[in-house]
Amino acid sequence: MFRILHDTNYDFIRWWKVMAAITIGFILLGLGSLAIKPPNYSIEFTGGTLMQLQFTQPPDVGEIRSTLDDAGIHGAEIQQFGSNRDFTVRAQNAAQVAAQARGAENIAVRIESVLKKKFGENSLRVIRTEAVGPRVGQELKRGAIIAILLSFLITLVYLSIRFEWRFATAAVIATSHDVFTTIAFLKLMHLEISLTVVAGLLTVLGYSLNDTIIIFDRVRENLRKGRKETLYETLNRSINETLPRSVLTHVTTFVATLALLIFAGEVIRPFAWVMAFGIVTGTFSSIYVAAPVLLWIERKWPRKTGARQSSSTVTPTSRTRRSPATATR
Amino acid sequence: MNLKWRIGIILGLTVLSFWALFPRTVVERVKRNGEFVYDTVRRVPLKRGLDLQGGMHLALEVDESKGLVPDKSKAIDNALKVVRNRIDEFGVSEPLVQKAGNDRIIVELPGIDDPRRAQDVVQKSAFLEFQITDETQALDKALPRIDAALKDTKVAVATAAPTGNKDTSNAGLQSLFTADTSKKADSTKKDTAATVATTVGGPGAFSKLIQPGSMPGEYFVAQSDVSLVTQYLSQPQVIAALPPGKVIRWSSDTLSYGNRIYRPLYVLDAKPIITGEYLTDAKPNTSPTEGNLVQFTMNNEGARRFRMETARHIKDFMAIVLDQRVMGRPPVIQSAIGANGQITMGGKDLQAAQDLALVLRAGSLPVPLKIADVTQIGASLGKDSIHKGITAGIIAVALVVIVMLGYYRFSGALAVAALALYILYTLAALAGFSAVLTLPGLAGFVLSIGIAVDANVLIFERIREELAHGKTVRTAIDEGFRHAMSAIVDSNVSTALTAAVLYQYGTGPVRGFAVTLLAGIAASMVTAIFVVRTFYMIWLNRSSEAQTTLSI
Repeated sequence: MFRILHDTNYDFIRWWKVMAAITIGFILLGLGSLAIKPPNYSIEFTGGTLMQLQFTQPPDVGEIRSTLDDAGIHGAEIQQFGSNRDFTVRAQNAAQVAAQARGAENIAVRIESVLKKKFGENSLRVIRTEAVGPRVGQELKRGAIIAILLSFLITLVYLSIRFEWRFATAAVIATSHDVFTTIAFLKLMHLEISLTVVAGLLTVLGYSLNDTIIIFDRVRENLRKGRKETLYETLNRSINETLPRSVLTHVTTFVATLALLIFAGEVIRPFAWVMAFGIVTGTFSSIYVAAPVLLWIERKWPRKTGARQSSSTVTPTSRTRRSPATATR
Repeated sequence: MNLKWRIGIILGLTVLSFWALFPRTVVERVKRNGEFVYDTVRRVPLKRGLDLQGGMHLALEVDESKGLVPDKSKAIDNALKVVRNRIDEFGVSEPLVQKAGNDRIIVELPGIDDPRRAQDVVQKSAFLEFQITDETQALDKALPRIDAALKDTKVAVATAAPTGNKDTSNAGLQSLFTADTSKKADSTKKDTAATVATTVGGPGAFSKLIQPGSMPGEYFVAQSDVSLVTQYLSQPQVIAALPPGKVIRWSSDTLSYGNRIYRPLYVLDAKPIITGEYLTDAKPNTSPTEGNLVQFTMNNEGARRFRMETARHIKDFMAIVLDQRVMGRPPVIQSAIGANGQITMGGKDLQAAQDLALVLRAGSLPVPLKIADVTQIGASLGKDSIHKGITAGIIAVALVVIVMLGYYRFSGALAVAALALYILYTLAALAGFSAVLTLPGLAGFVLSIGIAVDANVLIFERIREELAHGKTVRTAIDEGFRHAMSAIVDSNVSTALTAAVLYQYGTGPVRGFAVTLLAGIAASMVTAIFVVRTFYMIWLNRSSEAQTTLSI
């Protein structure tokens, strides 16, 4: 049997102050940079027009830009997208969005016609067009925020039922932490916030929650065993016991993410980046946010004294499902 | 549950999945040589989203730029029927037309190759009017007033012309046959800038741009002046100076005299003698003398009215106005016209005649619609996405298999077998619920392959712990499964809840992602808990003497 990290006994939680400093620093860095310059929202959120064009010959970006400028489409962002023949054109500024409120297709039609006039009728193909009115974008933004908050609420309720409120709160705080670190990551990586990225963020939240629950499940079980140890020790023990599982699951998830990152193409890459970061932050928060927060809550609102020592019921909601095998341990 | 039952259930699920995914014959409506035919194709019944198969997504809203619409929801309901009729005749295999929220129509056209034509068919108001051209020289009489009005505001026009207003004039021009006017609009725009400099400021700013045509109420405007005249006509002062009871409409065609191109402008009686609401049928046709045209038929009441009105206007010219554009040159009314009539298409191709007949048949839109949101994805991009997604999926599976086999050996092999079933079940569930597979969904699926083994990992680690405590193999397996259960259930249920929220609040691709995620969670719980357990049971039962060592 090949085992890694078996029977470890690291004192993970001892480092929580250092880790808190690191993660708060990271979040502040991200939010600070957000304060200086707002994040890049995709067309879906801001409204505007995005076109993905494929040229038969590698074109000169400057030439595309000047052609668009001449046609009165100012400030369009032109980016290479994959190969040097594929480009995206984003017309996203306020004037263009306002013009689009009258009819979303106009700008795309104009971009296509001026570029075809400049480069020749058959020199480029429109691979993809997305034109979104400003109203749709507003609704999407609201929808995304509602989705995140609602998922928190539902998680809180579910975990309160399955564990108890202390665990539920700690888990939700750990997950909120991931929202902030991921936003900071998006900003620092200059990734565009699109619907797909929001989906990625929600997946990260689910994944991180998963990880927290696995550890808390161990804590719940260890508490039931009624060892004579503090919650601090129980948490450390639980993290150590679930360590092999954590490592292995993160490895398999990470290789799948890596496959997406490398092979699934430009469109999916931002999603894969979010997910790759999510594995890191999710693991981190399960250990260094969820556990210290749980300790803090425990100190603030302690359980009934003696409850932890009693071998029968630890929490009012927990169910005893102990098998004879573990009891004799 | 005994072993036979377990194996039976697994086999049953597997057969069911294969059946759900087996390529089957589906009937599709396709357009072939301009005709709609039903055709059968064999394919795997997995619905691909627009982003994977290419196509077009449109969101339409009531256009209130030309006046407020009091009851938008009702207007959208009525418009929905018209749009649906038009799309049904348009010949897309699996179109989707639905109301979204209170005031929006969503149209999805998979595999569409001519997005602009599709937009046009959806958006065209198709409001048909028959109006008599003005016989009283009302515009001629009003010209001095218009010129005077422009003189007062010429500065405003001169500064506004080169920068602002381009879009409005453009939009006006594009209300019909977007494809060809967009190019013209472009060329005229440059000309406009030039003309503005030379013409504005002189006396008779308006009157010198137009010249009388050959029939009452007809004027010619040089093609290069069209957008300038359109701008003038949209000035409030000019609108106030226009003759009352008359409307001014552009022709849909241009005429050339010598080497100059002109676009006719018509002054018409504002009250139409009849509108398209009595129309019962419209067919495209080609005539050797008049080119492509659309023949229409009216119902009895319409025919009666039409006969009566045309009898009153013999020798007058009747303009056929579609969406505020005069179609062709107004013909003279020779004698009373009954139920049948025709609209000539000028130089437009048969496709244009077909599309016009289509929208006339489907009825006119009760309110003008604007496109709030359009996404168009080329078929090649969709194919490319699928190809890349599958590549990533295969590599992800391969890597996960290596990790699992390398770390857990025999037990890992069981997990890998369960993973194969996981992939099968998930895809079958997607097909079974006719969920739409989107690109984020595909990515979510690839990712879920990595996450799916989590449950196995949890169980295997537990079994290892139990073995380390000196349990027998059989007990360790039982205990391992039992102890891992609560963690597996809690983590999966909370992920499923998040996915449900995503489904509820997501749109399009994200919704597809949520569905994939949900299917994946369900399948992974079945395979990791039930299937792998059964595999272990088979293995334990295989030899009579209890297995003493477990490769894990």
